[in-house]
Amino acid sequence: MAESTATEAHFDDEAYRGRFDPQLWLRLSRHAAPFRRPIVALCLCGVLMAAVDTALPLVTASLIDAAIAGADGATIASHAAVYLALVVVLCAIVFGFINLAGAVATGIEYDLREKGFRHLQSLSFSYFDKRPVGWIVTRLTSDINKIAQQVPWLFLDLVWGPAFILLLSGAMFALSPKLAIWVVAVLPALVLITAFFQSRLLRSQREVRKTNSRLTAAFSECLMGVRTTKSLTRERENLHEFQELSSTMHHHSLRNALQSAVYLPLVTFMGGLAVGLALWRGAEIMALPSDDGVLDTGLTPGELVAFMQFAGMLALPIQDLAMHFTRLQSAQASAERLQSMLDAAPEVRETPAALDAIAAQQSRIAAGETHPNEPIDGGDAVIDTLTFENISFWYVEGEPVLRDLSLNVRAGQTVAFVGPTGGGKSTTVSLAARFYEPCEGRIAVNGVDYRDRSLAWLQSQLGVVLQTPHLFNDTVRENIRYGRLDASQDEIVAAAELAGAHAFITSLEHGYDTVVGEAGGNLSTGQRQLVSLARAVLADPQIVIMDEATSSVDTETERVIQSAIERVLDGRIAFVIAHRLSTIRRADLICVIEAGRIVERGSHDELMARHGAYFQLYTKQFVSDAGG
Amino acid sequence: MNASAKQTDEHTPRPPGFRATARMLFRELRGQRLRYFSAMLALAVASLLLYAGPLVVQATLDGVVIPGAADGGELSAASRLTLDALGGEAFLRDNVWVAALAAVALTALAGFFTYLRGRWSGQAAEAIAKRVRDEAYDHLQRLPMSFYKNRQTGDLIQRCTSDVETLRLFLSQQVVEIGRALAMFLAPLPLMLSIDWRMTLAAVALLPIIFAFSLVYFLRVKSAFKLKDEAEGDLIATIQENLAGIRVVRAFARQDYEIDRFTEKNATHRRLDRRLYVLMARFWSASDLLCMTQKAAVVVVGGVLVARGELGVGAFYFFLTAVTLFTFPLRMMGRILTDLGKAIVALARLRDILEEPIETDLPHERHADLRGGVVFRNVGFAHDDGQRPTLSDVSFEIEPGQTLALLGPSGAGKTTIVELLLRLHEHDTGRIELDGVDLRDVRRSSLRAQMAVVMQEPFLYSKKIRENLTIGRPGATEEEMVEAASVAAVHESIERFERGYDTSVGERGVTLSGGQRQRVALARALLQEPAVLILDDSLSAVDMETESMILSALKDRRAAHTTIVIAHRLSTLMHADKVVVLDQGRVVQVGDHETLIAQEGLYRRLWTIQNEGVDEARVSGEGSDHG
Repeated sequence: MAESTATEAHFDDEAYRGRFDPQLWLRLSRHAAPFRRPIVALCLCGVLMAAVDTALPLVTASLIDAAIAGADGATIASHAAVYLALVVVLCAIVFGFINLAGAVATGIEYDLREKGFRHLQSLSFSYFDKRPVGWIVTRLTSDINKIAQQVPWLFLDLVWGPAFILLLSGAMFALSPKLAIWVVAVLPALVLITAFFQSRLLRSQREVRKTNSRLTAAFSECLMGVRTTKSLTRERENLHEFQELSSTMHHHSLRNALQSAVYLPLVTFMGGLAVGLALWRGAEIMALPSDDGVLDTGLTPGELVAFMQFAGMLALPIQDLAMHFTRLQSAQASAERLQSMLDAAPEVRETPAALDAIAAQQSRIAAGETHPNEPIDGGDAVIDTLTFENISFWYVEGEPVLRDLSLNVRAGQTVAFVGPTGGGKSTTVSLAARFYEPCEGRIAVNGVDYRDRSLAWLQSQLGVVLQTPHLFNDTVRENIRYGRLDASQDEIVAAAELAGAHAFITSLEHGYDTVVGEAGGNLSTGQRQLVSLARAVLADPQIVIMDEATSSVDTETERVIQSAIERVLDGRIAFVIAHRLSTIRRADLICVIEAGRIVERGSHDELMARHGAYFQLYTKQFVSDAGG
Repeated sequence: MNASAKQTDEHTPRPPGFRATARMLFRELRGQRLRYFSAMLALAVASLLLYAGPLVVQATLDGVVIPGAADGGELSAASRLTLDALGGEAFLRDNVWVAALAAVALTALAGFFTYLRGRWSGQAAEAIAKRVRDEAYDHLQRLPMSFYKNRQTGDLIQRCTSDVETLRLFLSQQVVEIGRALAMFLAPLPLMLSIDWRMTLAAVALLPIIFAFSLVYFLRVKSAFKLKDEAEGDLIATIQENLAGIRVVRAFARQDYEIDRFTEKNATHRRLDRRLYVLMARFWSASDLLCMTQKAAVVVVGGVLVARGELGVGAFYFFLTAVTLFTFPLRMMGRILTDLGKAIVALARLRDILEEPIETDLPHERHADLRGGVVFRNVGFAHDDGQRPTLSDVSFEIEPGQTLALLGPSGAGKTTIVELLLRLHEHDTGRIELDGVDLRDVRRSSLRAQMAVVMQEPFLYSKKIRENLTIGRPGATEEEMVEAASVAAVHESIERFERGYDTSVGERGVTLSGGQRQRVALARALLQEPAVLILDDSLSAVDMETESMILSALKDRRAAHTTIVIAHRLSTLMHADKVVVLDQGRVVQVGDHETLIAQEGLYRRLWTIQNEGVDEARVSGEGSDHG
């Protein structure tokens, strides 16, 4: 956990580099395509709103001028009616765009998450090997949320802002070009100030976010390592290191706070400046209404008031646009990571040949020519032999893990892999399960390359029992049922009995309905192993793959598990990474794997007689201790 | 998920009453109160100045630019004063720029005070946030282990990060807004009344309704937020479970089933999130309607009064500006009050941790130089009161330099003995002595500095391997470090990393296997040169060959320190000077290998199981020798 958070912080650092990347957003925007209509409607709302925002001060101006001229009740009433009508329209627009924004934001969020989740279900294990679970979860949750929640507002304000500036300026120029020039002159200054501060705010915000993820990692490490810290009496040094980090955080967030403390008043001031300019120039224009005899230079009192109101509103669209740009920038890291996840290609998937076979089988089923329970690719249902033919494999080019490995297994055989750590035992069983595919050579089911068979079919014939069995945070019953979803209660109990798990399950307070906790934490390691065995039994697989636990369970529990395993393996093809003597001894074939090769193979007795690597391994581990 | 949610709830304190709340918040402001007070003051001044600008504008309009719009040119007292201050109407008539400049200057001044407010409240809030973070971090590492028993790491992290953030946001942006609210009601109201009471009425009539509406709304929307947050938590848990178990999902080819389950949660989340948007749409449009209606009232009443000649255009403008100035903050008040609620909950959740008592040294505790003699006399311990005791009546002795092995099924109490020895827990009954000194008289820091533990799932800091190794002895030389790593049989593995000892633990692409971690932790412990070395099932992930290598290398060093070994493999334990066999918290057998093998009991039973077939193997091996 601590390790994963540290890694996470590392991953994040990576992504914070890079400038605004329009290409990336263009690619992501394709996900918004299904929401074209509400987005267009949102843009319309933006234009309408800008129009109403501009119209309201004009109505007021007209009312003031009419009033000064001594308007009667009817005139005032008609103005009031127009004003109220505009207000109602405005509120209707507000109601409309929030609803539209909701439809777009939640819809895109839903779609992206669904795409991401589906994609993850098809990605190869190598993808998960390199990335902590927490990191992927963040991509699917907060990153997607960050992106999706921005989309509608971005469209709305991208339309509203420019439309408002245009309409506002247009209205002012229509009223009095002379005065309008003075007021609009403030705009470039506003844009400059905003650009200046936003780029700084952006930078300090990035620092804050970065430091914040380090802070979270530090807290996580503090908690995960509390026992270690205590036993090393490292509290003071830890606090010291943390204080350095929290000072950095203080430094960055204070800078961010001070930058916005300057920026916002400056914007307010620029608005005030525009109002002052309108007053000054407006008063002068009004003082000489018909000096040069040109009528439209004149300005009515109502128009002056409208001007000053417009001047006060000038900063709003610019502030809004700047805010969106900042948010877009800060979401860019999220967008990059999400896109890279969606772009990751699954390394192991159905080959074209397998897909053709599946399609052909489907049409046969549709035509009633074959039974739907037959394998989905129309191949053999029963696995008689599984053959490794000159397999080589590497995770990294040039660093082979397995070299030219060949092996032939018949139905009913148990193959035990023994050998030193890192020799290639786990890789061999991963290839058998087609979690990875060989880089050279082929693995054949009844003589057919398994890449020509359906991946889904092969994996549905697998039962995997891992050294650290993973259980889902659900009841014991549901965890066992995971082996075969349509299993009845009786079948579940029968599987548990066969796996030797029934006795302990019934002794639990809630029996089969006991919730196992996060990653099965409410059960002991041995109990988890028994449940996962039961799960594998229920699946009734043709191939069992088992990575035996070493010594994390006590000896007597180990014995229970051992006899359960023997019952489970009976009659199936089994690959076992073996640590226990009894498993090794009862295996039909023992393969000693060293440095990616099978250096010896045979039964226990044969290998003992040979006095080779197995004999060495065997006597060293078991006999020397017994003898001493 | 359900289980964890329940557990979290248990530790979520109830929101305290109003007075306790105020006291709690006030206490948290310590050291920064002057800054806060200044910030509030600055904000109050800034809000007043925001009205002064329009006041100048209105006086200028009515007195200078458009005089006589109102009956007889009668100006309000405020306008009169303003005009006189600026040099009188006659002067201004030729110099409107003076008035305009005054208005701009007032806005600039308002801006300056707004800046001061932002600066001071920012400084105060950041300082408090830093203090709270440091406090929380230090407190967490000093809390006794018993605290962690029922706590979830995720929940604690959340309290220290996002709860602090909630508090910080509230402190930096919203606390001072109270200053604005007060200033708004104290100053503009008299000003407006002095200009025209009918316009004032038109400008404020709906305010109480707007305020009440926003308050009620934000309180109601809270439950909708909570539902959405729960759905989100559920969704996250589902994704997390799927990814954590992705190997199981694949092994049983359950992708479609998982997608179905996920889709259901995803849809629920969307529905609840969508509902929030609908609620928002209703609130903001209705609230806009109220505010705009208020403005419309000003426009209409103003129009009527101007038409009657009872109101100047300037005054009309002033009210129009004022109504905009105060409706928006008022609308936000509802939000501030609900955010106050959130901040209080966050603060209470933090205090809940900070008020837990930490491990403290008592006055009589002192430093002791340990030689490694350990005596347990009738020691008893229970994790929770009233529970079945974890240890009862446990007695044994170890001489300095000896090796003691602890053996027994899981749950027998082996690890608890280690924890008592390190004072991670305090024993309830009996007596533990170190070289004849009562354990309780030795300071924890002194004790722990002289004992080294290697745990089954050891923790490494996300630092370089080198730093991890030398943590126990910062001054260690390169040779000492390499020597310790060699004894722990991890030197070669480390050298194989591209950056050797400078590889960072947890770096991209480099992950240490369980066995490597155990061995690094062992090397770290050896480097500490402890008086007592404790190996708590700490070689379980190391293959047997490597283990026997490590054990024989350790044997050469054993004379230097007392060793306590916990393991399930008898091969690990059999060379110990003394083996203590535990079952259900009691000592059932004590003795060395020869004694125990001769007795009926757990030891012999395990010996038989673990060596099944070994003799036969030896025989067959020998047999082929002859053949």
